[in-house]
Amino acid sequence: MTIMTRRTALIASASLLAMPSLARAQGAPIHLGTLTPLTGAGGPYGPVMANCVKSVITEVNGVGGVLGRQVQLTSEDDQTNPEAGLRAARKLIDIDRVAAIMGTWASSVTTAVAPLCWENKTFLTTVSGADSITALPHNGWLIRTQPNTTLQGRKFGEYAVELGGKKMFFMAPQTPFTQSQLANMKPPIEAAGGSIELLIYDAAKPSLRTEVDQAMRARPDIIILGGYTPDTTVLLRDIFRAGYRGKLLAYAYSVNQQMIGSLPHDVTEGIYTLAPSPAQGSGGFDRVKRIVGNDNPDPYTCQIYDQVNLVLMAMAVGNDATGQGIHDNIRRVSQGGGDKVDNVMDGLRAIAAGKKVDYDGASGPCDFTDAGDITDCKFRYDQVRGGQQTLIRIA
Amino acid sequence: MVSYLIFLLVVGGIYALLAQSLCLAWGVTGLVNLGLAGFFAIGAYASATLTKWGGVPVPLGLVAALVAGAVAGFVVCVSTLRLRDDYLAIVTLGFAEAVRVIASNEIWLTGGTDGISGIPAGMPRDWGQRFHIISLVIVTILLGLVWLALRRLVASPWGRALRAVREDQIVAAVAGKRVTRLKAEAFAIACAIAALAGALYGHYTSYIAPEIFQPLITIYVFLAVTAGGNGRPTGAAIGAYILIAFLEATRFAAEIVPGVSAVQAAALREASVGIALILLLRFRQRGLFPELNQKAPA
Repeated sequence: MTIMTRRTALIASASLLAMPSLARAQGAPIHLGTLTPLTGAGGPYGPVMANCVKSVITEVNGVGGVLGRQVQLTSEDDQTNPEAGLRAARKLIDIDRVAAIMGTWASSVTTAVAPLCWENKTFLTTVSGADSITALPHNGWLIRTQPNTTLQGRKFGEYAVELGGKKMFFMAPQTPFTQSQLANMKPPIEAAGGSIELLIYDAAKPSLRTEVDQAMRARPDIIILGGYTPDTTVLLRDIFRAGYRGKLLAYAYSVNQQMIGSLPHDVTEGIYTLAPSPAQGSGGFDRVKRIVGNDNPDPYTCQIYDQVNLVLMAMAVGNDATGQGIHDNIRRVSQGGGDKVDNVMDGLRAIAAGKKVDYDGASGPCDFTDAGDITDCKFRYDQVRGGQQTLIRIA
Repeated sequence: MVSYLIFLLVVGGIYALLAQSLCLAWGVTGLVNLGLAGFFAIGAYASATLTKWGGVPVPLGLVAALVAGAVAGFVVCVSTLRLRDDYLAIVTLGFAEAVRVIASNEIWLTGGTDGISGIPAGMPRDWGQRFHIISLVIVTILLGLVWLALRRLVASPWGRALRAVREDQIVAAVAGKRVTRLKAEAFAIACAIAALAGALYGHYTSYIAPEIFQPLITIYVFLAVTAGGNGRPTGAAIGAYILIAFLEATRFAAEIVPGVSAVQAAALREASVGIALILLLRFRQRGLFPELNQKAPA
């Protein structure tokens, strides 16, 4: 009996969804694009992100799409390069006529592509963290699901103090967020009577022994690692070889399960990691786990999952599948109370039933300020023990 | 569709300018300049910093880029006087990397890895299509001027002397050519052209960052010049347009190949660039527009 009612409900909602298409007589497909790094430095992250979006869209198309129209996805490669990214974005906007571009990863690519998006009324959702991005004059044409560096830096500083460090040493390649991260780590550390030094290294170097020796000379209690997976792997090896016995603190997206598996346990044992927490245990996070077939999906995949869900629901709630529609309506589905949903299927059903929805996703609550930054984010604290990332707490 | 094509023609024009630079330095004079991206960056930064923060009008910014490129090219050339072939290639590659690292780390001067956004274009960007068409006209005219000048230079006695240096600099020196001076002149002019391309790129796209100036750009231009014919300005320019057309066409080709995921398509695109180059070198070693022998006057 329950099965029957569920099925009836499904049919009812499906026909509700199909109605606008009947009214329009024909439902031309809705176009969406992803612009993630499939090659280059972001290569380890982009392909998983693009696949995640594809599988969400396949699911939505399976029940008739959005507003009775099928959704067509085009995934382009930004080659982790602003010049190539710009050409790809031009193609997505002018040829595929996408309503939204999702998933730009490198901050430089996002900054290069953003003006193109707002000039052409195409919505942009990004996972780049540089503070400068939401400060661009974008007039609401972009949102990001990654907490900005101000917040991340402060959390790193507070945690380093909590771990009992006095002399911290921050090692990072030069990226758009390095300086601002340092600036925001400083106050909590200095308030606790500690000090922090910065060493910028070249991420392309095959050995970082000189840099590590320089760090050793400062006799730090805690070394904070600010790089990505490839350079952090090199750095960790050299830190181990140098016989360092203090604590290590790193981003969870660089010291990830893949990297821990590729290094001997001795090298990675005891590393503390910190990351904007995917909403562990939430329905959204479980779905991303299923989609990528991995118990520990990276934060970028969780974020792009939320982005595509939000974009699809914004189209449905505003009954407008254009970039302007997403721009005007995305905050109507991301925040402001209503039925809590963690995936677009439930969301579309609730919207069709005339309910207000408030999306809480795989990466967090996904509430945005006017500038496009997320308002709230939990952080996840882990430690590597015996080759496994072991959860300490989420706060 | 139209704005996409216009955009590609502008980008193609900028690549064609870079190809003119490489044609002069490498094709005609035999100086392998793997640091092209570095000179491209110098021009972009010179013009962007002056116009954005110095309030200088855009045409003056372009002139400043030309000067900056020429000076940088001259310095690199005189400091590598004894180097040819592979050695010069490595040094110039190192130079380009040094430019990129400096641009990333000297934040007070270049804005660091954040790059410089909102570079003025000298006309309102919200003109829409008109902005792109005017940009296309400007870039194409500048390319035409550089192309004409280069053709004249290459055909002149000066150009002949450069080719003599390329073939054998000892013979050229014995014949009384001032090899050092010729090389420095050619290299400085070539670098000024690359810098001009950089400045135009910055003003057109409104944003530059160190990450744009990766060796990938240099490699692409080498491909373009090899495809077109490295000793002729016409060949280099057409090679650059073909390169951009090819890079973009592979996007659409990859979409119609059945059963490949996005990441496989991206890999196929990169592989196809390599395959095209191999085929070209197998069947047309000297490019589509091979260098012509100049007949001795009767």
